[in-house]
Amino acid sequence: MGMTPGILGRAALCLCLIVWALPGSALAERTEEQRAVRWADLRHAIFGDRSLQDAGELVVIDVPARAEDAAIVPVAIRVADTLAPEIRGLYLVIDDNPSPLAAHFLLGPAADARELATRVRIDDYTYLHAVAETADGRLYATARFVKAAGGCSAPAGKDQELAQERLGKMKLTLDQRVKPDAPVKTKLLISHPNNSGLQMDQATRNYIPADFIQTLDVTYNGEAVFRLESDIAISEDPSFEFGFRPSDPAASGVIKAEVLDSSQRHFSQSWPVPAAPQM
Amino acid sequence: MQTWSRIHRQLAALNEGTSAIFRVCVRLFFSSIFRWRLGLAIAVVIAGPVAAAEIQALSVTEIAPGIFVHNGVQEEASPANEDAIANIGFIVGDETVAVVDPGGSFAEGHALRAAIRLHTEKPIRYVILTHVHPDHIFGAAAFRGDYPDFIGHVKLAGALAQRGDYYLRRLQGALDEGADGTEVVPPTVPVADRLALDLGNRHLVLRAHRPAHTDNDLTVFDEKTRTFWLSDLLFVDRIPVIDGSLVGWLKQLEELTAISADRAVPGHGPVSVPWPAAAEPEWRYLAAVARDTRAAIKAGISIASAYRQVANSERGQWLLFDDYHPRNVTASYKELEWE
Repeated sequence: MGMTPGILGRAALCLCLIVWALPGSALAERTEEQRAVRWADLRHAIFGDRSLQDAGELVVIDVPARAEDAAIVPVAIRVADTLAPEIRGLYLVIDDNPSPLAAHFLLGPAADARELATRVRIDDYTYLHAVAETADGRLYATARFVKAAGGCSAPAGKDQELAQERLGKMKLTLDQRVKPDAPVKTKLLISHPNNSGLQMDQATRNYIPADFIQTLDVTYNGEAVFRLESDIAISEDPSFEFGFRPSDPAASGVIKAEVLDSSQRHFSQSWPVPAAPQM
Repeated sequence: MQTWSRIHRQLAALNEGTSAIFRVCVRLFFSSIFRWRLGLAIAVVIAGPVAAAEIQALSVTEIAPGIFVHNGVQEEASPANEDAIANIGFIVGDETVAVVDPGGSFAEGHALRAAIRLHTEKPIRYVILTHVHPDHIFGAAAFRGDYPDFIGHVKLAGALAQRGDYYLRRLQGALDEGADGTEVVPPTVPVADRLALDLGNRHLVLRAHRPAHTDNDLTVFDEKTRTFWLSDLLFVDRIPVIDGSLVGWLKQLEELTAISADRAVPGHGPVSVPWPAAAEPEWRYLAAVARDTRAAIKAGISIASAYRQVANSERGQWLLFDDYHPRNVTASYKELEWE
């Protein structure tokens, strides 16, 4: 991770912030054409000249059309059974967020690509794009429009003291016992402010520093389930729901999560996974 | 990480490009503001003396001898109500005056100050800020000229640092020029546990609470009239907002309702209510949210849809239910999923 892009990114964020500081009326609602131009730009920035296929039913974004809380918008990316085994990467783009590429999941051999869910901040009415990448480099894209506003600069931390005490702690829930031939559905919570750095302290006129999870590595018995590269768009206390396939369901194992945040803190935790009952 | 870095360089470049357009917009915007301000300045110079005489004093009710409360409207902030949506007021002692929440905007704070001056010329020595929410404390700047102590929970300064700017921009969005003059005023006197104030033959006891409605709730007890000013630890008629800790709030209510008082002042609702009877509906709502949200988490229902089956028995019991209930459930879900 070079420093330059980070600094450039922050500088760009600050410039964007000037625009948000204007009352809502100063910014007209974007037209469909402007949204299309924005996506074309983002797509070019992320994927260069590679061609993107319309995913149709193969890749679907599941998100509420209107978010109740823009700082905690649940998003799931689902990939059809037929395509899932080929998928090695998933991108989630929130077009009109200050930092649009919200998450890049790199899937390992133990991953189940059929469903990945997290919670994100959404700053303005926007399209969400999900792009699934196959092992041989094909890209499948899909979009959904979401009505939510203010999520990135919204105040986090209802209980600051608790947030400090719990920093870096994780909670993992296995949805069901391991069954042969079925992926293990898993829910991982990480206690972290994942601060966006977009809140200004009026007393000092300084921004509260951004402090967010940069990478999350989830492995099962040392084999990669996924690596997440991420940013300020992931909500406070990041939550991930995913499935994984033990290479040997008959044996018990260990699932491990490792986090590196933007303050260069490392957190890691492991949990035992029981063996599947013999058929 | 190489891909990630490359993409971010590209995205940064993209944002630089768009920000050039944004900068032009910003300049245009501010130049038009400037013209408007200049016009206003001229208008104020001409109409100044008239305008000064026309400050409307906020309507207040004397709920007990020397305790005056303005009844906030049960609405969201709007230009029409100037964010005067919370119960705010003041307490008069033999020597000095304490403001309990200066109101939701500079305009409301100004009107509250005018109301105080209709009743007394005693110095305004204290401005008590009961918690971080803007509808209660954004009128503070109207009292700067009185050089009072601005008193808040020990965690209020940190919460304002996190949220003040966001709240201010949101208020400006909601009120337009109605928000003019409104500033974030940090507390000058922090309360970690208790603080006793003497207004002159009148003792107030301020208590800082554990996370409940927010993580910086402060209550005021007037010993002279046994009036318990709970601010937003007590919602009556209007749906409670969970912005601290649901479990903590239920626990606080147990302690608070054990305190005997002749009357209570809720942050929203009537200006004076019987205590502890008036806390019953709030307790019932919070307990229902806790019970049903725990059940939803256990049943594997997602955070997005949980509110549909949480505390439905409470629908119709509260004003602004649909505006706040889903967010309350989201907040509770996030809190309770760690249990």
